[in-house]
Amino acid sequence: MERVLSVESLVTRFGAQVVHDGVSFGVERGEVLALIGGSGSGKSVLLREIIGLVRPTAGRIELLGTDVWQSEPYAMDELRGHFGVLFQDGALFSSLTVAENVAVPFVEHTDLPRDLIAPLVGFKLALVGLPPDAGAKFPAQLSGGMRKRAALARALALEPDLLFLDEPTSGLDPVGAREFYRLLRALADSLGLTVFFLTHDLDMLVAIADRVIALAAGRVIADGPVAAVRKSDDPWLQEYFASRA
Amino acid sequence: MAENLTSASWVECRVEDDSDVLYLTGVWRLANVAAIAGRLRELGLHARTRFVLDGSKLETLDTAAGFILLRHLADVGCTQAMVSARGFDARYQRLLELVHERMTTPPSAAHSGHQGLLQRVGATVLAVVRMLKMHVDFVGVVTLELLSLVRRPGRFRTKETVSQFEAVCIDAVPIVALVNFLIGVVIAYVLGVQAQRYGATLFVADGIALGICRELSPILSSVLVAGRSGAAFTAQIGTMKVEDEIDAISTLGLSPIQVLVIPRLVALMVALPLLVFVGDAAGIAGGLLVGNWQLDIAPQVFMDRVHAALELRHFVIGIAKAPVFAVVVAIIACGMGLQVSRDARSLGQNTTSTVVQCIVWVIILDAAFAVAFQRMRI
Ligand SMILES: Nc1ncnc2c1ncn2[C@@H]1O[C@H](COP(=O)(O)OP(=O)(O)OP(=O)(O)O)[C@@H](O)[C@H]1O
Ligand SMILES: [Mg+2]
Repeated sequence: MERVLSVESLVTRFGAQVVHDGVSFGVERGEVLALIGGSGSGKSVLLREIIGLVRPTAGRIELLGTDVWQSEPYAMDELRGHFGVLFQDGALFSSLTVAENVAVPFVEHTDLPRDLIAPLVGFKLALVGLPPDAGAKFPAQLSGGMRKRAALARALALEPDLLFLDEPTSGLDPVGAREFYRLLRALADSLGLTVFFLTHDLDMLVAIADRVIALAAGRVIADGPVAAVRKSDDPWLQEYFASRA
Repeated sequence: MAENLTSASWVECRVEDDSDVLYLTGVWRLANVAAIAGRLRELGLHARTRFVLDGSKLETLDTAAGFILLRHLADVGCTQAMVSARGFDARYQRLLELVHERMTTPPSAAHSGHQGLLQRVGATVLAVVRMLKMHVDFVGVVTLELLSLVRRPGRFRTKETVSQFEAVCIDAVPIVALVNFLIGVVIAYVLGVQAQRYGATLFVADGIALGICRELSPILSSVLVAGRSGAAFTAQIGTMKVEDEIDAISTLGLSPIQVLVIPRLVALMVALPLLVFVGDAAGIAGGLLVGNWQLDIAPQVFMDRVHAALELRHFVIGIAKAPVFAVVVAIIACGMGLQVSRDARSLGQNTTSTVVQCIVWVIILDAAFAVAFQRMRI
């Protein structure tokens, strides 16, 4: 097993507020890992620290063998080609069509000729289950679920080893959400992707996560397979799992 | 990626039994996709035989490379039955299956489509017509809301109107005064140079008084307000539209027109005549200054001349045009704000469009007024 991500004694403070107070965990290649925790427990901040957007107060984050906060900027640029991020609202560029959005990583990071990019973009859209006519549409003309798929196609464009997702099923109907996470699981299995997602969606957690990490009061309160975390006697976790009918 | 270049062959084709066996070698990754596609074309495969894909020498495979391979085979006319795979790592086998399953949907165009000249002209004309129709509709809607407000004056939002008035009038005074003052200076200077030749420098005062009060101050003030407040109206209302706040206003049983549009409209209708007046004063002051310094016209003499030349009707015409321009700016700006669709792009486009439309309409209307007043001999 190869470690693709390790977080060691991470501390984050915003002024007097302590968001993380010594968070440590590791992720192996090919794992589908869920990060759970109440609202405001610091999940999104942790994700932004891992992908190099917010600097942690202390601690170490190693992503694909590169120390995210100690390495040279060019090493980080090189690293960015190896992971994809799906932001909560998709974060598609609203001035570009869906196809152009997906083409951005190809145009910016590869020297592929245009006549190869077009079919590849079409294929990526098909891969995430978008209908062919979606490519010509602008993000504002898509439903929430389609926007998520389009954003997933863009995140997958450069064939990343690792995929980060912030609440991938929020704002989707239960059927759409199920389709979406099944797609994720299928892609993870076939592409050998490592998937790291933040979620409040218990169904998704139970359906696709190999492992769960629960965050509360700035610390990891549980780390293990869903079945094991479920048996935890932490009151918040018990409440959380009890909310499933 | 130097090590990839050495395995330059990518795919080797050999005939075994009665089928073509394609041995895939090396790193089949996105970075090498262009080279792989070139190599596949070079092989000149034909669909007459069966193909066996052999993955035993493959180092890695990703979806992009897998897609290029399967698409090439499909392009040369291979059906699924004609292609089989062997020797692949289980992972890559699954990946190829996924690619095959998903690629059957035809690829979509990567571009939003380039239009021909004629098409563009046509589309633009249609857009302009649609826009005009929309503005006319909007005038109707706002009129109806105003009428309903007349019946129930208690619903008028005084506080919002006052705060809008502060933003569009008080805050705009310095810039309006400055611009008109400078224009007064420029015109007095240019006129003065000409008038000096005929020894008629005193008539610079006539030119300034008439030009500034009747035409320039109304136009300049309206253009400034269009750029300043018109853009702000569109951006404010458009942002609320993007954030669904307009829908929230309607859902709370309020009328977005009464809450957002009418206060801005009223504030602007009151503000613009005042700004034009400020502009008049600043422009004349600019002329007076140049007259004093450059043309040796004493301020007292200059002002006497202004009083003589500037009949009340000229001043009134200048001021009276302002509310009309204010209506144009407010209607276009608020209408464009409400037309924003739910994305950041359209917000920017509409704001730009507001400024352009307001300025163009103000100038068109001003030209129409000039001709009409001339005909009416006032
Ligand atoms: N840039 C910032 N400056 C100050 N405080 C911040 C900043 N970003 C986040 N926080 C705080 O950090 C805490 C954790 O926020 P975070 O967004 O990570 O929560 P979360 O676990 O993702 O919650 P949710 O499930 O609602 O998305 C919050 O209390 C938030 O107020
Ligand atoms: Mg969050």
